[in-house]
Amino acid sequence: MARYGMALNYKNCINCRACESACKEENGVLLLPDHYRIWVGVKEAEGEYPNISIASQTYHPSQCQHCENAPCQLVCPTNATHYSPEGMVMVDPTRCILCTYCINACPYDARYVDQRTMTVDKCTFCSDTRLANGETTTACQATCPTKVRVFGDLDDPNSEISQLLAKHEYRQVKEHLGTKPKLFYIL
Amino acid sequence: MKVEISRRRFLQGSVAMSVVGGVSLSTSSMIASAGAPAKKIGNDTKKVATLCEMCVNKCAAIAHVRNGVIEKLDPNPLFPKSRNMLCARGNSGIQALYDPDRLKYPLIRDGEKGSGKFKRATWDEAYAYINEKLTKILDEEKDNRSTVAFCAGEGMAEHTFKTFFTLFGSSHFLNHASLCLATTVSGYSLTIGGYGQADLDNAKYVIMAGANRAEAIVTPDTMDFFKRTNGRGAKLVCVDPRFTNTAAKSDKWLAINVGTDLAFVLALTYVAIKEERYNKAFVENYFNGFETYKEHILSNQYTPEWAEKITGIKAKEIYEVAREFMAAAPQAVYYQGRRTTWSKNDFQLRRAMALFSALGGGVDVKGGICFGKSLPLVEHEVPAPMYAQAKPRIESKEAAVVGGSGSWVAFRNMVLEGRSPYPIRALFNYKHNPMHNMPNAKKTEEFLKKLDLVVTIDTMPSDTVMLSDVILPECHYLERTDPVVSYGGIEPSIAQRNKVVEPMFESKPVMEIMRGLSAKISKPLFEITKKYDEDVQEAIEDDDEETVYAEFDLTKAFAHDQEELNVHAVEKYEGAAEILKEKGVFYPNMNEYFKKTGVNDYEYYPEHKRAYSVRNLKFNTPSGKIECVLDSLTKKGIDAMPTWKKEYEMAIPEGKFRFITGRHAQFTQSGTANNRLLLNLVPENYAWINKRVASKMGIKFGDKLEVSSPVGKTTIKAYPTEKIGPDTLFFVHGFGVSSSAMHLAHNNGGNDAKILEDGIEPMHGSSCLHDTIVAIRKV
Repeated sequence: MARYGMALNYKNCINCRACESACKEENGVLLLPDHYRIWVGVKEAEGEYPNISIASQTYHPSQCQHCENAPCQLVCPTNATHYSPEGMVMVDPTRCILCTYCINACPYDARYVDQRTMTVDKCTFCSDTRLANGETTTACQATCPTKVRVFGDLDDPNSEISQLLAKHEYRQVKEHLGTKPKLFYIL
Repeated sequence: MKVEISRRRFLQGSVAMSVVGGVSLSTSSMIASAGAPAKKIGNDTKKVATLCEMCVNKCAAIAHVRNGVIEKLDPNPLFPKSRNMLCARGNSGIQALYDPDRLKYPLIRDGEKGSGKFKRATWDEAYAYINEKLTKILDEEKDNRSTVAFCAGEGMAEHTFKTFFTLFGSSHFLNHASLCLATTVSGYSLTIGGYGQADLDNAKYVIMAGANRAEAIVTPDTMDFFKRTNGRGAKLVCVDPRFTNTAAKSDKWLAINVGTDLAFVLALTYVAIKEERYNKAFVENYFNGFETYKEHILSNQYTPEWAEKITGIKAKEIYEVAREFMAAAPQAVYYQGRRTTWSKNDFQLRRAMALFSALGGGVDVKGGICFGKSLPLVEHEVPAPMYAQAKPRIESKEAAVVGGSGSWVAFRNMVLEGRSPYPIRALFNYKHNPMHNMPNAKKTEEFLKKLDLVVTIDTMPSDTVMLSDVILPECHYLERTDPVVSYGGIEPSIAQRNKVVEPMFESKPVMEIMRGLSAKISKPLFEITKKYDEDVQEAIEDDDEETVYAEFDLTKAFAHDQEELNVHAVEKYEGAAEILKEKGVFYPNMNEYFKKTGVNDYEYYPEHKRAYSVRNLKFNTPSGKIECVLDSLTKKGIDAMPTWKKEYEMAIPEGKFRFITGRHAQFTQSGTANNRLLLNLVPENYAWINKRVASKMGIKFGDKLEVSSPVGKTTIKAYPTEKIGPDTLFFVHGFGVSSSAMHLAHNNGGNDAKILEDGIEPMHGSSCLHDTIVAIRKV
């Protein structure tokens, strides 16, 4: 069984937000404020004109980290939030009672309330919309102009993501919380 | 005898045209709904390879269709130009297709101009209305076809509309060129023999000045380049009055005073020449007039110290950039840029940039500016008639060289100010929005109101559409097959937009609109020509009327089916027509060359087959060399060499701001203003104002500002930031739509066209969009 993760060449990101729009179209995310499964975190530039620190303005594409020790899964009282066989953190909307514990527990702010289903929604690595149809990429990866994302099987040593992570230094976000996130930012 | 002459005259007008065509009208049962199309219901699925038209790049896409509804657009990896991507706008094409505000039926004005009142008409009624007005106008103007002007927005079907214009016989075609790229295309072409393609996949040192490729996406430049910035092979110097997303990816950002780039480039050139850092062998062999240019640069003392005072960029930085550039050359590019309607010196600026690039030898070489190869298509030729009474272009003297796409601003102003030597009475408009794309919207409104007939073909009820007399609904780009297009470059290919779904409502492709309209007006207009054109009268006497009419028959260009014409256009490439229909993209040896090299990556051509160097060091200029001195322009009042003039320095009064406009990656000019998905990403535009200045003025984020100039005002929310200087104000173009028929765009954000002054530069009569001083006031 595959164990899916994602590596991000985040230095390639130009904050064009193609990923966000592809995600919304692919996964039917409602076009309402605060409805998004993925996003680009922008850190605004520091300094005073014309002395701006170039390195201070960063673009940080992000989404659910599909943690191995997911706090959202621990707090879910109905087991709506669960791990898929491929290690992805999923929400079963039929079990979700909208207690929103998971939203509070997630250190990555990766969850939101879908106003259509009134349940919690989040990134699924396009498992139902693309992977189930035989696609091998997520919508955000496929559409990206500068090819930030590499999705793949972390347990396959020959996969591109495994090769990338073997060759490059990377960091994970809030690793110290012990969540074991499966998004890897290539340095 | 005279017949012979006029016959020859007829044949002179033979123009090559490929023609859009033949999709039969069908009103889809599907209704555009406010919500996203229903997902995953039913199993009647198909995938269609097509091309995006959300901006000018034309990226290859695969449309996923279920039960006649497009559910998703994915990138098509086969196209070398778009490199397997679709940006935010590309993804939002579905929302444009299913926009409930789309134009659905032909409409005829039913109230005062600008009242927004229209009545629904049949196509035949609309054509009849146009026919009645046109015949009256041309009869009154004694068949001076130039009294009817034509304008068009960029797009693959623009070609079809232009065919109609050519057959119609007017001198006036106007498009975005004088509002966009005329100066850079001609500046580079007249200097190095072509605009070219910067090889950002291999360049080691790139100066991007004003060009903002992280936000104003150009394919393949954007995709190639930003994988290589940040210490990964390419060094980027960003020169911009704003700290843009491109600046954020740069190694060095040089904040420059607005409108002073020419002084910066002249100083770079000074360093390269004075310190003899240029590529001497290249200059010796391939430059024409270098000694004169050298003398000009040195004797004028275009030193970095001189430029510092004008540009605000430290002299030390200028020395450093010039030295680093020449050290990296020829893999060093002063990026050409695209929308170069800034200031009066735009043409000279682009000349200076081209010359500086060429001093390093980075022309027609890998990692420099390349010219690439093209894959020729078979053109479908239709002879165009010549009309004896058609008078020349009215604004040809308003600038040194007014080309085939005109000077929009000069044209409009001459009509408005009564300076036209003959009346301009009508306008045919294809998908163009002069109310937004031209400075001084108030003048554009008066201009449109002054005309007796404005016919607009579009998909959305834009501000220009609302000021039209007849509105003809075009179908969306995913509803039509367009003319096959060849894209030259380092990795050339041919691509085709294939129809994905049937046109909705009563919308039609331009080809079909032209077919219907020409059938209605062709004969009546010929009657007028017969009445006033002596050549035609004599031809009829010598020949018979039917034979002469055949030459004036407007319908002949629109008789063919587009699919059929596309097959013909690529007939020299075996199997191409089928491949284009199935895969959307073709190039010779594609099966052999195209390789997947990673989960995201593809190779299109093997390295040794890429067209980096094609000119064999013979440049496409009069001397075959890089042209330093253009003496021929001096008699038209244009400097033979790039020269700084005192008049280029613009004082900004205390408390006021110099206004600049631009793009971001989520909107395409005013064309996406009503797109739900894009508005979800960027709900409105904001005015960038320096944070310290804003604080002094008591302006906080989100405060409403009235921005005013001598020509008008607009209202917009404030975004105080240190990413802009204290005397500059910026907001992105494309918001602040007046049309109440565009429900999401209506009154949303600020409209730059309302405040921009309408000066033009002397070379092509292009707009100067960065020469307006504005005041702001909290409201």
